[in-house]
Amino acid sequence: MAGVKKTTTKKSFFKAVFKHSTVAIAILDNQDRIVEINSAACKLFGKSKSKLIGKSIGKFLMSPLNWQHPQATGQIEIKQLKGEPKTVEYSQVRELQPKHNLLMLRDTTDFQRQAAAELDLYYQRVELFAEVTLKIRQSLQLQEILQTAVTEVQQILQADRVLIYQVFANGTGMLIKEALLPDFKSILGMKFPEEVFPADYRQLYTRGRVRAISDVRAKDAGLAECLIEFLDEWMVKAKLVVPILQNFKSPNSKSQTDGEHLWGLLIAHQCQAPREWTEFEQELMQQLADQIGIALSQAELLENLEEVVAERTAKLRQEINERIKAEAALRHSEEQLRLIANGLPVLIAYVDCQQHYRFNNQAYQTWLGLAPSQIRDRHLAMVHGQDEYQQISQYVTTALKGETVTYERDLVLQDSCVHSLSVTYIPHIQAQNTVQGFFALTSDISDLKAIERMKDEFISVVSHELRTPLTSIHSSLKILATGKLGSLSSQGERMLKIADEQTERLVHLVNNVLDLQRIQSGKITMNKQGCQAKDLMVETVQTMKTFSQDRGIKLSFKPSKFVVWADRDYIIQTLTNLVSNAIKFSPSNSSIILSAEIDSQHNYDSKNKSISYVTFAVQDRGQGIPQDRLETIFERFQEVDSSDSRKKGGTGLGLAICRQIVEGHGGQIWAESCLEKGSTFYFTLPELI
Amino acid sequence: MPLVSSVIPMTNKNILLIDDEETIQAVVQVGIEIEAGWQVAIASSGFIGIDLAQQQQPDVILLDVMMPGMDGIETLSQLKNNEKTSSIPVIFLTAKAQANEKNQFQSLGVVDVITKPFNSMTLASQIAKILGWEI
Repeated sequence: MAGVKKTTTKKSFFKAVFKHSTVAIAILDNQDRIVEINSAACKLFGKSKSKLIGKSIGKFLMSPLNWQHPQATGQIEIKQLKGEPKTVEYSQVRELQPKHNLLMLRDTTDFQRQAAAELDLYYQRVELFAEVTLKIRQSLQLQEILQTAVTEVQQILQADRVLIYQVFANGTGMLIKEALLPDFKSILGMKFPEEVFPADYRQLYTRGRVRAISDVRAKDAGLAECLIEFLDEWMVKAKLVVPILQNFKSPNSKSQTDGEHLWGLLIAHQCQAPREWTEFEQELMQQLADQIGIALSQAELLENLEEVVAERTAKLRQEINERIKAEAALRHSEEQLRLIANGLPVLIAYVDCQQHYRFNNQAYQTWLGLAPSQIRDRHLAMVHGQDEYQQISQYVTTALKGETVTYERDLVLQDSCVHSLSVTYIPHIQAQNTVQGFFALTSDISDLKAIERMKDEFISVVSHELRTPLTSIHSSLKILATGKLGSLSSQGERMLKIADEQTERLVHLVNNVLDLQRIQSGKITMNKQGCQAKDLMVETVQTMKTFSQDRGIKLSFKPSKFVVWADRDYIIQTLTNLVSNAIKFSPSNSSIILSAEIDSQHNYDSKNKSISYVTFAVQDRGQGIPQDRLETIFERFQEVDSSDSRKKGGTGLGLAICRQIVEGHGGQIWAESCLEKGSTFYFTLPELI
Repeated sequence: MPLVSSVIPMTNKNILLIDDEETIQAVVQVGIEIEAGWQVAIASSGFIGIDLAQQQQPDVILLDVMMPGMDGIETLSQLKNNEKTSSIPVIFLTAKAQANEKNQFQSLGVVDVITKPFNSMTLASQIAKILGWEI
C-alpha cells in the first residue's frame, strides 16, 4: 500500500510539474498526434488544449520532427497565425513510454531579445567610451584634456559634480578641474592638506582602488563622521572615486622608481540623492581615468619635447643669426677684397685645376682689353691663344703640382707697347694636399727693368771710366815707390805707401762692384766643367801663398779626390775671397785649412735625379763672428765691424760675390763660428759623377 | 829716347802701345822701361798704330779696346788682315774684359787680355809670362 501511495504521490508531483512548467511539453503518439499537452505549450501554439489534442503536431511546425535518434535537441520553427514563424528550442525523447514520445519546446525569443539588448548596450558603451576618448585625445594641451574629461564624465553619468583632484609630491592636493550642474556649489581650486589624503590612502589608490559609495551616510560606506560633515557642506549624497595613475618617468622627474604613480583622482558626486553606481559607470570612470593617465604622460612628453624643440629652435635661431652675420661679414670682406683687387695695378686671377679662369680683377680689362665675360669660366688656351698658352703651360703644370712658380715674360698690352711682366702662380692647396687651382699675380716690371738696365749701364760706364785713371794713378804710385825716379823723404814714402794701399783698395772695390753687378744681372755665363777639388785648392793656396806668408799664417789643404761641376775661375775667385778674409782676420802664427768632403745627404734636382754635393770648407783660427751676424755677412756692405773694411782693406762685397757665384752653381754658402776660436766658411758644389 | 837712363836692358824687346789715354801711355812706357828696360813706342790711335806696326815690326802690340774713331777691335782686324802685321802678337788692354769677353777677344786673334786697372810696374812680367819670354 505504501508503494502505491508513493507512486501516486510521485505521479501527482509530475502532473503538477507538467501543468505549471514554463517549458511547453507535449506527449505524442507514434503518428505525432498530440496525446497530452500542458498550458505552456497551448500558449506557445496560441490554441486551447481541446483544439490541440488529437491533432498532428506537424500542422503547427514548419518542418516535420525526426525521431531517428532516441534523444535529440535543436531549434525548430513554429507557425504563427500572423507574421513570421517563431523559432524555439526543442528537446525530444523517443519512446518515453511505449508508443509515446516526449516533445519539449522552449520559447527563446525573449532571451534573444534581452541578449541583443545587452549587446546593443555594450556597443553603445564602447562607442561612448571611444567618443569620449577621442575628445580627450583631440588635444595635446593638458588643461584642455582634463576639462574635457570632467565635462564628458559629468554628461555621461549625469552626475551633479565631477572633479579632478591632483595629488602633489608632498601629499597635499588641490581640486583643479570641475564640471558642475548649475544648482550646486563650486569647490574648484580648493586645497587639501596631507592629512585629508594620507599616505596609506594614496597607496590604496596607487594599487587601483575604486571607491563607489552609493550613500555617504550608510553604515557600510564606512565614512568617518567628520568626513560626512565635510561632504554635507558640498551636499554630497553619493560619490564615485577612481585613481588617475601615470605610468611615465619624465627625464626631469625626481622620482627614482619607474612604474605607476598616483597623479590624482577622478571624482563624481551625486548631490540630489543617494545613487547606486553601476558596474558600467565605475568601469567607464576607471577607463577614462586611465585615458587621462595616458594623456598626462603624452602631455608631459610633449612638454619635454616642446622644451627641447624650443631650446633647439632658440639655438637654431642664434645659429642662423650668427650665420647671417658671418655671411654679411664675408660679403663685406669679399667686397673689400674685390675693391682692393680691382684697385691694384696688377693682374689678379684665380684659375681652377681644369685651367679655367674663375676670377679676374678689373686690370684684365685695361691691360689686355678682355671683358670679364671673355675670361670667366674659359680655358687659359682660349683666353690667351694656343701660342702663348704653349709658352706658359709648363708653369701652369708646376703650379697645379703644388709648387709656387715665378717667371718673367714680355707681352704686348692694350697700349701696343711691349711690357715686361713678372708672373707668379701660387697653388691653392686644400685638405689632403689636393691642389684646387692657383692664384695668378702678374705685375708690370717694365719700369723696374728699365731702371735695372740703367743701373747696369751706369755701373759699367762708371767702373770703366774709373779703371783708366785708376790704372794711371796706381801705376804712377808703383813707379814712384821703386825710387827709380828719385828718392823721397821718410814722410814722403809714408804718404806714398798710404796712397798706394788706398788705390789698391779702390781697385778692388771697382772690380768687385762690377763683378757683383754682372753676376746678379745674369750677364755672365758660367763655363762649368769637371774640376778636381784638389786642383782648385792648390791654385788658391798658390795664389794666396805670398799674402799668407807676409802675415805669418800657415795655409794648407787636406787631400780630396772629388770632382765638382763648376766654373774653375769663379770657384777659385770664391776660394780666394774666403782665404783672403781668413788671412785678414787671423792672428799671426795661426793656420788656415782648406778641405773638400762629400756631403752624405742625397738631394734631388727638378727631374728627381739624385745629386751629391761636395762641401768646401775654409777654416781659420781668427776672432770669430757673432751668431747674429752669420747670415747678414753675405749681404752687400755687411761686414761684422764697419771699421773692418778700412782696417783690413776690404770692400764689403767679397762674400756677396761668393754667394752669387755659389748659388749660380746650385750650391749653398754659410758660415759657422765660435768667438775667439775661429770661423769656418762652407759652400757646396754639385759632384760630377 | 828712353825716359829713364839708369835702367839696365835685359832681353831687349820692342813694344808698341796703341792707347788714346796719355796717362796710360806714360805709366806703361815708364813702368815697362823701369821693370824690363824694353823700348815702348806710343801710338795714340789705331791708324797711327797700324802705321807704326808696319814700320817698326814690334815684338808685341799692346792695344786698347775702347778708343775714339777706330776702336781696338777694328784696329786688331786690320792688323790681322795686313800681312806685314798679321804675325805680330797682340795683347788687349781693356777695362771691359770679363771671363766671357776674354774668350770672345781671344777668338778674334789676340794672344791674351790684360784688364785695367793693372800695375804697369808688373806689366812686363805679365807680357813675358803670356808670350813665354824670359826677363
